[in-house]
Amino acid sequence: MDRGRLALGLVALAAALALPYVAGPFWTGLATQMLIFGLLALSVDLLLGHAGLFSLTHASFFAVSAYTVAILQVRYAVPTALAAPAGILAGTLLAAVFGISVRTRGVYFILITIALGYVVWGVAHRWSSFTGGDNGVTNVPFPAIGSVGVASHTQYYYLVLAVVILCALGYRVLIRSPFGLGLRGIKASETRMQSLGYRTSAHLYAAFVLSGALASLAGVLYVYYNRFVNPVASSFPISVEAALMAIVGGSGTIIGPFLGAGVVLGLRNWVSSFFEMHHAIMGAVFIATVLWAPDGLVGVAGRLRARFSQPKEPGP
Amino acid sequence: MTPFAIEVGALAKVFGGLAAVDGVSLSVAAGERRVLIGPNGAGKTTLFHCITGTLKPTRGSVSLFGRDVTRDAEYRRTALGMGRTFQITNVFPELTLLENMTLAIVGTDRRKWVMHRSVGAFAEVRRQALEGLEAVGLAGRAAQPVKLVSYGERRQLELALALNTRPKVLFLDEPCAGLSPSERQRISKMIGALPRDITLVMIEHDMDVALALADRVTVLHQGKVILEGTPEEVRANAEVREVYFGHG
Repeated sequence: MDRGRLALGLVALAAALALPYVAGPFWTGLATQMLIFGLLALSVDLLLGHAGLFSLTHASFFAVSAYTVAILQVRYAVPTALAAPAGILAGTLLAAVFGISVRTRGVYFILITIALGYVVWGVAHRWSSFTGGDNGVTNVPFPAIGSVGVASHTQYYYLVLAVVILCALGYRVLIRSPFGLGLRGIKASETRMQSLGYRTSAHLYAAFVLSGALASLAGVLYVYYNRFVNPVASSFPISVEAALMAIVGGSGTIIGPFLGAGVVLGLRNWVSSFFEMHHAIMGAVFIATVLWAPDGLVGVAGRLRARFSQPKEPGP
Repeated sequence: MTPFAIEVGALAKVFGGLAAVDGVSLSVAAGERRVLIGPNGAGKTTLFHCITGTLKPTRGSVSLFGRDVTRDAEYRRTALGMGRTFQITNVFPELTLLENMTLAIVGTDRRKWVMHRSVGAFAEVRRQALEGLEAVGLAGRAAQPVKLVSYGERRQLELALALNTRPKVLFLDEPCAGLSPSERQRISKMIGALPRDITLVMIEHDMDVALALADRVTVLHQGKVILEGTPEEVRANAEVREVYFGHG
């Protein structure tokens, strides 16, 4: 990593650490959401930005994990130390089942993941005796391990920040590994990868399950922040938004999905305060991104940097 | 006796009503250099796809050193020692040449599954990748993305990728397609210099290149083998002159 990026990273870290003291609870809450949904978007982007698979079912893993934690904690008083891993395990197991969708490609993959997502939403919505129906599961406590527990939203923000940083570092290793390079190879030419000896479906399946595990972790962070979960968490719009956050921020990068989450959540908060049809504004943002900035904010930043740092070409 | 490197038995591939390959049988001895020739649409590339597992044949069988691989997926055949290049350059444009080579090198072993170490930590792979690029004259291009190098260099990379899967039998589908005469000469020299323990099966349109490299030549026409023999025999054959050159 070059010095400029390291310096930028340290400044961002300092800003993130200072945020609750400088900006107050509203912004801290928004930043917590941005980190959680950024993590969900990052999980979607492992498939989208690296392997070239557009999944629209990641809300399923997110929600199943959140419901598992909520039900265990609220109804069975299971402690966080067991409930949180159980949530991740449940979401990951679901991803291991839904992973069969990697047998398809392109538009068929998109369609099958949409259908799978609706199955989970339907269960969350209709199996009221277990999921609480539309009301969901409420009164989820803050996480606590033994006598050490989170006592405020500010403390929870720091916990989320730490988890997200660890995930981002692990993700960085993963995408730079031979396995991660293999995913990019599959995205570029699956036929060539097969002729080079790769069982590409197995690679994609592994990526799908890993991605599901990361989405499940985001679900755990979400339910302890939100303190309740209802079928909205499993709904199609969440899956779509996660993918769009990655695209708006910069697909194929690590920081991009978090920036995208910031833009989407920030705009929604701001626009919805004075305009009822804020969804229409979000739609316009996405269309503009796809048309004029297909590489997202990270791509725009790269282009600007290239324009300003390029030495003037000698005249003829 | 030692088994043939490649044995194809009565292989056919039918698309809709059209038999692109129509009952081809051929045997290639270990270490042999076989060239397939034939006019456009003779079924050469389709035959290649069926042998290497890119396509499933409608009928017939394929074996590699006596082992029936007809039902094996392409990646399995690669692991067992088949390597191939594509007629239409099939490399990874967004990745650097070094990354392209890395994919080829780790593709046939377990290192392709490593998730917890960066590619850069595999010094051995890097060394091998640079050697592989050096062998086709691309060492100076290692750090460039493929989309920035010339067509001729991509063809060289195409060959280097196939060589670095450690093939026992190498299938080359018109390796010189679309190249200038000087590039053509360079690639055919490279192919000629390959170690003799690699069995070579090659599709080639250029008769001079084909006949200079080949131990034996198989002539395909309308999905069928119409002749097999030494380059001299093929050159002398009237039927070949008829279908291939279009004159007597």
